[in-house]
Amino acid sequence: MSPAAPDRSHDKKAPVFEARGLKKEYDDGQVQALRGVDFQIFGGEFVAITGPSGCGKTTLLQLLGALDQPSAGTLTYRGTSLAVMPDLAAYRAREIGFIFQAFHLLPTFTAEENVQMPMFETGRPISERRERAATLLKSVGLEHRLRHFPSKLSGGERQRVAIARSLANGPGVLLADEPTGNLDSENAHAILDLLSRLHEEQAMTLVLVTHDMTVARRASRAIQMHDGRVVFDGDPAQLPTISAI
Amino acid sequence: MTFFIVVLRGLLRRPVRTGLTLVGISIGIGAVVALVGMSRGFESSWTAGMKSRGTDIVVNSMGSSLTPKPFPASVRDRITQLPGIAATSTLLVELMGIENSEMMIVSAREWGGFAWDNLKVISGRLPHDAAERAVVLGTTAAEMLHKKVGDPLQIETEELSVVGIVDGGAVVENGAVILSLSLLQEIMGTAGKINIIDVRVKPGTDETAMRRLCDEITQRIPEARAEAAGEHIRSSQGYRIINAMSWGTSLLAVLVGVLGVMNTMLMTVFERKQEISILLAIGWRRSRIVRLILWESALLGFFGGVVGVILGVVGMQVLERTPAIRGLLQPDLSPSLMALAVAIAVVVGILSGLYPAWRSSRLHPGAALQG
Repeated sequence: MSPAAPDRSHDKKAPVFEARGLKKEYDDGQVQALRGVDFQIFGGEFVAITGPSGCGKTTLLQLLGALDQPSAGTLTYRGTSLAVMPDLAAYRAREIGFIFQAFHLLPTFTAEENVQMPMFETGRPISERRERAATLLKSVGLEHRLRHFPSKLSGGERQRVAIARSLANGPGVLLADEPTGNLDSENAHAILDLLSRLHEEQAMTLVLVTHDMTVARRASRAIQMHDGRVVFDGDPAQLPTISAI
Repeated sequence: MTFFIVVLRGLLRRPVRTGLTLVGISIGIGAVVALVGMSRGFESSWTAGMKSRGTDIVVNSMGSSLTPKPFPASVRDRITQLPGIAATSTLLVELMGIENSEMMIVSAREWGGFAWDNLKVISGRLPHDAAERAVVLGTTAAEMLHKKVGDPLQIETEELSVVGIVDGGAVVENGAVILSLSLLQEIMGTAGKINIIDVRVKPGTDETAMRRLCDEITQRIPEARAEAAGEHIRSSQGYRIINAMSWGTSLLAVLVGVLGVMNTMLMTVFERKQEISILLAIGWRRSRIVRLILWESALLGFFGGVVGVILGVVGMQVLERTPAIRGLLQPDLSPSLMALAVAIAVVVGILSGLYPAWRSSRLHPGAALQG
């Protein structure tokens, strides 16, 4: 059972993210990771960003999560440019939930403590943090693993902890970078089922980066990238194969 | 889970390294406690000795040596009639090797002076008169010299008889060989010379009047200087040199500790680059990361300080029992010194953590997606 879903009906009226001419360069322009990307992502969408390695999908996810700044173009979150947003830490803490391919749990903290980590910036009392972490872990089926350290958890369990952590502050958007990349197919399916369920139950916006077409087809919309550009934006069932691009 | 637990886990991540860093800083702090405790102990022990003799003002000429320079005993006549002075007692105090003991306090006192009054006879007796070729030993001095009443005692070329064991009520009194002033002057060939005049003031003399009296005495005896008991040690050049050397040596040791903590914290930051990036990616503010590193280094300093205080206290107790120190001073084990040492350790920890903390605050949250 998931924590009570917040009302996010207003999200569907205006774009959550809007990118206009988004570019990202590295090494003084020698590497162009994004070469002018335009899109809108609306509230409650499940968007898969797909494409071959090096196409710029992780870079795009970094920009959406305000982990990096674009070299050119604009990226807005609910109408506010991330470039002028005064408190990016608050944005990352409250608006966004991050799920990483390599789970990135802190090894010296238990599952419950890992889930509590993002809550330090919200000023919740300790008891509330603990209670919420337990509820979230229960919602991902790990109520029996609260006191386990990451080293004592399987890959699938670790990713569940990471998902619970991403939900810690009740974000409206989940950004997932290859969340099934380090899992076997059984665990990968389970994690995708869990993400789909959370997306539906909590009306969250889910942006998932994957190079796996099977995973991308689970989304309601797919954005395919190639060489730093969007080459397809539409129904995942219509996704062209890489060789066709 | 509290933020403190997060800090603590950071330290326990590499227990061996944290432990070695603790050892480094605790040695530095141990040195502060031991060396400064000894030099402060020197001051407080000699002050206690003065107080035990009932001395309010000490007239002497402390140069760069630990014992005052001699001056003619006759100068005492210039001050005895001063209003405010109740009594005076002249002494010749030397630090000298006695038999197998390398350094002992030899305290020769004017016969009939009040400096004899505080001595409580434990066994035997006091000398019959100034001419008797006898000494009394403080309890610690008797133990150190392995002497009892009736044993002979060699001072320079003269063999004297131990006639009593006394309790002087202070470490330096109990560690002393005590004899009449005229006898030591004769043995040392310093007839008519003293190096201390103990002064008792009249009851009810306040601090201001005491200072005025000190000034007046100093004016009348330019060969020496009058100061309230205790202050004369602090103002002595020899004591200042010892004190400065104690601090200098200990601060060098602390500096080694600083480098150790800084190295550990830098290693911590480098090793935890990705962990810090993840924390930034999940919404931690840079200021919280900085606090995390500073708290870790401060806590490292605190624990190092506590262990250092324990080391220092043990070290002082060992030093106190060495023949070179025993009976000369009682180390300062005051809570204020312990608190000061721990405070130094915490400040050292924080200062050592500043650069690593700054480095940690420069890390990029995007690195979380790169591994």
